[in-house]
Amino acid sequence: MNDCDNILMRKMALMDGEQIESNAAEPDAHLAACENCRREIEEMETTRHLLGRQTRKAESPDLWATIGTRIGAAPATAFETSRPPFVLIGVLLVVFKLLEMIPARDFGWALKTMPFVLAIALFVFLRENPFKINTELKLEKQL
Amino acid sequence: MIDDAAAIERCLNGEKEAFRFLVERYQAQAVAHAASILVDREDARDAAQEAFVDAFQALGKFDLRRRFYPWFYVLLRNRCYKLTAKKRDAESLEDAEILAAPGVGMTGEEKIALERALLSIASEDREIVTLKYLDGFSYDEIAELLRIPRGTVMSRLFYARRALQAKLTRKFH
Repeated sequence: MNDCDNILMRKMALMDGEQIESNAAEPDAHLAACENCRREIEEMETTRHLLGRQTRKAESPDLWATIGTRIGAAPATAFETSRPPFVLIGVLLVVFKLLEMIPARDFGWALKTMPFVLAIALFVFLRENPFKINTELKLEKQL
Repeated sequence: MIDDAAAIERCLNGEKEAFRFLVERYQAQAVAHAASILVDREDARDAAQEAFVDAFQALGKFDLRRRFYPWFYVLLRNRCYKLTAKKRDAESLEDAEILAAPGVGMTGEEKIALERALLSIASEDREIVTLKYLDGFSYDEIAELLRIPRGTVMSRLFYARRALQAKLTRKFH
C-alpha cells in the first residue's frame, strides 16, 4: 500500500464516521497537495452517497418448516392438525372391519376399496407423498 | 417474549422447538446476507437453511455471553463460500437482485448501474461493502462478523470500494 492509498484509506474511515488512530488532520494536509487523491475522494464520496441511499432487497422466507423437521423438532401445529384425521380414519377402518365381519352379507367392490380410498385421502389431506424417499433422514447418533 | 440466550438455553435443555424463535428472528437477515455473497436467492435460502442446521448442531459450543448473530454469521459465510466454490462461474447473474427498489432521490438507471456494479465485483468485496453501506455496520461490528482485525476491515473495505467505484465509473462514462 503506497502513501496515497494509506491516506485515502484513513480519509475513507473518517468519512464513514470511524475513529482513526493517527492524526486525523494528516489526510487533509495530504489532500491539499495531491490532486489525484482529491479526485478519488470525490468519486468515493459519490459512491458512498449512492450506496447510502439504497437498501437490501427484503424478503420474508419461511425456513422453519424444513429446519424444524431436520433437527427433529416437527412443528407443534403439524402434529396437532394431524391427530384428528388419524382418529377419524381409525374409526372408519374399525367400522369397515365390523361390516366385513357380518356373515352372509356382500357389500360389493365399493366397500372392499374403502381402506385404499381412506389411505389416499389421508395422504392428500396431509400433503405427503408416501413414495418419496427422504435422503436427509439420519440416525440419532449421526447428528 | 424470550431473548436469544433464553431460547438457546431452552434448546440445550432439549426443547428443540425453542430454536424456531432464532430461525424466525434471523432468517430474513440471513437470507439477505447470503444473497450478497451468492447472488442467487434460491442458493441464499439453501445456505441459510444449512447454516441454521449447523448452528443447532453446534449450539453446545456457543458461549451464552456472546451475541447469537455474529456467531451464526460465521457458519452462514462458511456455507455460502462452500456453495460459491462449487458453483463458481456456472450461472448467469442476469436476473440476480441484491438491492430493493430505487432509494430516495435515486433514478432507476442509477439503481441498475449500482446493482450491476455490485454483481460484477468479487463476492468477498460485495460482502464487506454491503455490510457497511446497506446494513450500516461499524468497522468494529464488521470485524466481529468476519472475525478479522479492525485494520483489515479498513483496508479490505478500501479496496472493495475502489473496485466498485471502478465498475461504476466505467458504466457512467
